[in-house]
Amino acid sequence: MKQFLTNVYAVALKEYKHIVRDPFTLAVALVMPLVFVFCFGFIIDLDYKHIKITVRDNDQSAESRRFLYMLSAGGYFDLTPVHSPLAADEDLYKNKFPGLMIIQKNFGKNIRAGDVQNPARVQLMADGADNARAGIILNYMTAVSQEAEKIFGSSPRFNADMVRTRFLFNPELNNRWFIVPALSTIIIALLSILLTALTVAKEWENGSMELLLSTPVRPYEIVAGKLAPYFGLSFFNILLIFILAVLVFKIPFNGSFILYLSACVIFIIGALALGILISIITRSQTAAIQFAFAIGMLPGFVFSGFIFPIENMPAFFRGLTFIFPQRWFLTISRSLFLSDASFSALAVPFICLTIFSCVMVLLSVKKFKKDVEP
Amino acid sequence: MNNVTVTAVVKHMKKTPALSGVSMTFGGGVINGIVGPNGAGKTTLLRCMANLLTPESGTIAFETGGQKLTPAQAKKFIAYFPQEPSLYPDLSCAEHMQFFRALYSLNAADFKKRSDGLFAATGMGRFRARKAGALSGGMYKKLGLMCVLLNNPEFLFLDEPTIGVDPVSRRELWELIHRFSAGGMNVVMSTSYMDEALRCGRVFVLNSGRLIAAGAPHKIMEDFKLKKFEDIFLK
Repeated sequence: MKQFLTNVYAVALKEYKHIVRDPFTLAVALVMPLVFVFCFGFIIDLDYKHIKITVRDNDQSAESRRFLYMLSAGGYFDLTPVHSPLAADEDLYKNKFPGLMIIQKNFGKNIRAGDVQNPARVQLMADGADNARAGIILNYMTAVSQEAEKIFGSSPRFNADMVRTRFLFNPELNNRWFIVPALSTIIIALLSILLTALTVAKEWENGSMELLLSTPVRPYEIVAGKLAPYFGLSFFNILLIFILAVLVFKIPFNGSFILYLSACVIFIIGALALGILISIITRSQTAAIQFAFAIGMLPGFVFSGFIFPIENMPAFFRGLTFIFPQRWFLTISRSLFLSDASFSALAVPFICLTIFSCVMVLLSVKKFKKDVEP
Repeated sequence: MNNVTVTAVVKHMKKTPALSGVSMTFGGGVINGIVGPNGAGKTTLLRCMANLLTPESGTIAFETGGQKLTPAQAKKFIAYFPQEPSLYPDLSCAEHMQFFRALYSLNAADFKKRSDGLFAATGMGRFRARKAGALSGGMYKKLGLMCVLLNNPEFLFLDEPTIGVDPVSRRELWELIHRFSAGGMNVVMSTSYMDEALRCGRVFVLNSGRLIAAGAPHKIMEDFKLKKFEDIFLK
């Protein structure tokens, strides 16, 4: 028993020394839990609030205003009135607002009359591309409509069924339509970052980088040479996911395929260059894998809008999502799959994605060491 | 004549002094040996000469074909083979040669001539298809030499090329190095084996980053009244 304890103590002491002398492992062990608790604590808010809905009140009666007040009072919906039918449609289709509510003319008069032939009607059109949000909109609307029934008096004066909800882009709120286009973002980001994160670190670890650097090859040539085959691999993967999404999961692709391919190219270049940058900075395969997982996975799930709504995040984290390419590619991917979004509607995601990729490529080349200085 | 002149070079690795103002000239025509125990500064000096490290002070000047060059300018004339295993275990000998051909931008005719010459000179012709990871220690070093020599360099820097190599392969490597040196290449190699110091035409003895002796090995032994070369580190 004494020998057992002595041996365990010796091994434990050795491990302890490894940990405290390796700043990266120590940082992972001590800082990561704080980062995770801090991020998730603020970000995971499944209670959607302040969903932006544009409202076209064609009745302008006391009843319609009362109904709209009930909608906004809970804090779940932020209502923005519009008067032009064209502007309201455009806002919805350009993803500026996730919903458009139309209160029909004579809404108040029909409630007061209680005529079965002419019921008071409300129509809600919601963006079904974001399945989770669309489901919550439906639930809130049902709750508010039932509340309205109590206030206005139930059928024939007002009936919750008279609030007709229609989901654009994903009428049946099919989960797969929502998840698969987003999954391509997660998979490609993780794969691309991970693949290249190992390449430079591997060369440093096995000593071949020293030999490579002694030849006339230039840093940007090494970076470009390392990017090229992995670009082909990632591009093949994204096409494979696309084919599976369309043929196996039967997800409609309504947008421009050229736009989709362009976004894929920009996104893959950025993700690969980020992997190279991680590899250049860490020079160790173990550290590179840990970094790549942290940077490839966490933002993909947390900061991209894949699971947690960006609009619900605190301002700081909402701002943070801007620097993650997953957010922008996911927006483009979902929009092109489920709606026929034009380039102008996707200009902001495209610009942000391009800026990210350019910065990553430039940083990789700049940070690539031309020597073996420690 | 191809010369490398190192003047008052100072270099720290992190905070440890690796080279403390060393000066020496490596002339062609003989094998130049940088000799010293582990931590003497041999690798740091070779890396500075191969433009992989930048000295904090001092200069390194190359002279070839009547022109004077800095390490950066001389890069295309230099072949450097590091001490650590630095080849790709999953690439064959032929694939390694093709890779280095591209890095050195050789045309097909030059590549074929040099590649065939190197395979013949090293006796590696039978192993063209063998992967580097499956080569013995001696063959591995020969392949490394072949790769860097494809460029037909004026200067060949070898960092402890015979370390971890069996006696037969070691002798073969030495024969190769002698042949390259006799062909006009300025060969500078480091070694911590004192018997190898005696095989060099000229040696530069480093200890703790300082040059403690330079010259023909037998002359150094006479001057320092040494029975064995390694006794110089006890003086």
